[in-house]
Amino acid sequence: MSALKIPQQILDDMIAHARELDPFECCGLLAGTNGAVSRHYRITNTVAKDARAVEVFEGADVKQLSHLSNSTKAEVAYFMDPKEMLAAFKDMRQRNLELAVIYHSHTHSPAYPSATDVGLAYYPDAAYLIISLEHKTAPDLRAYWIKDRQVSRAEFQSV
Amino acid sequence: MIKVRIPTPLRPLTKNQGEVEATAGSIAEMIENLNAAHPGLKDRLCDDKGELRRFVNIYVNEEDIRFLKGKDTSLKDGDEVSIVPAIAGGN
Ligand SMILES: [Zn+2]
Repeated sequence: MSALKIPQQILDDMIAHARELDPFECCGLLAGTNGAVSRHYRITNTVAKDARAVEVFEGADVKQLSHLSNSTKAEVAYFMDPKEMLAAFKDMRQRNLELAVIYHSHTHSPAYPSATDVGLAYYPDAAYLIISLEHKTAPDLRAYWIKDRQVSRAEFQSV
Repeated sequence: MIKVRIPTPLRPLTKNQGEVEATAGSIAEMIENLNAAHPGLKDRLCDDKGELRRFVNIYVNEEDIRFLKGKDTSLKDGDEVSIVPAIAGGN
C-alpha cells in the first residue's frame, strides 16, 4: 500500500465541505493513482438532507444509533447518495482512477472511526478519512485502514 | 444475458472477475443464479430472511432498485446490473 498523497487544495476543500454541512456530517470520495489523489467528489449525505433517510440504519448491526431520535441521528450519521456514488465510480472508471479515500466529518467528536463507521466499512482497499470539527477553529484530519473490523492508522501527506 | 458488475469486496467470490453474466428475469432470480455459480454471494446481498441488505446498493441500468421494485425489479436481455456496497457511518 503506497503512502497517500493528497493535494492541499483538496484537503482545504474537504474542510470547507465539512464546515458547510456542520452540524450535519459531510461525505465524499477521493480518487487517484497508486495513492496519489487527483480527484475530489463531494457526495450528498442523504441523512443530512432528509432526517427520514436515517431509517436505513434500522436493523443494521449497529446498536450505537438505535437509542437516538431521528433528528439526533441525522446529526451523527451519513449515508452517501447511491446515485451520486454510482456516477462517481463511473467517472473514476472512465478516467482510469482508483478509489483512494472515503471521507466524512465528525461535528461533535474526535477524528476516530466510531463503532458504526467500523461496522459499515465495506471497502478494505480505501482509506477512511475523518474530518473532526470538534474544535471548530482547528479541524483535525486523520485517516485509517479498516479491514475485518481492525482499525489502523493510514498516513497521508499533503502535496 | 445480463451483465453484472461486481464490487472489489465481493470479487474473491467471483474468482476476481469484476464483471459476470447471468440469465434472469428479475433481481431475485439473478441473485439465485449468481449464487449457484458463485456460492456465498447471496449471503452477502441478502439477510437470513432473504431480504436485500440495506447497505448494498443495486442498480439496473443506473437506476437504484429501491426506486424500482426492489428485488422484484424485472430484468431483460442486455440489462446492466451494478452491485455497490453502500458507504455509510456515523460518529
Ligand atoms: Zn464517523
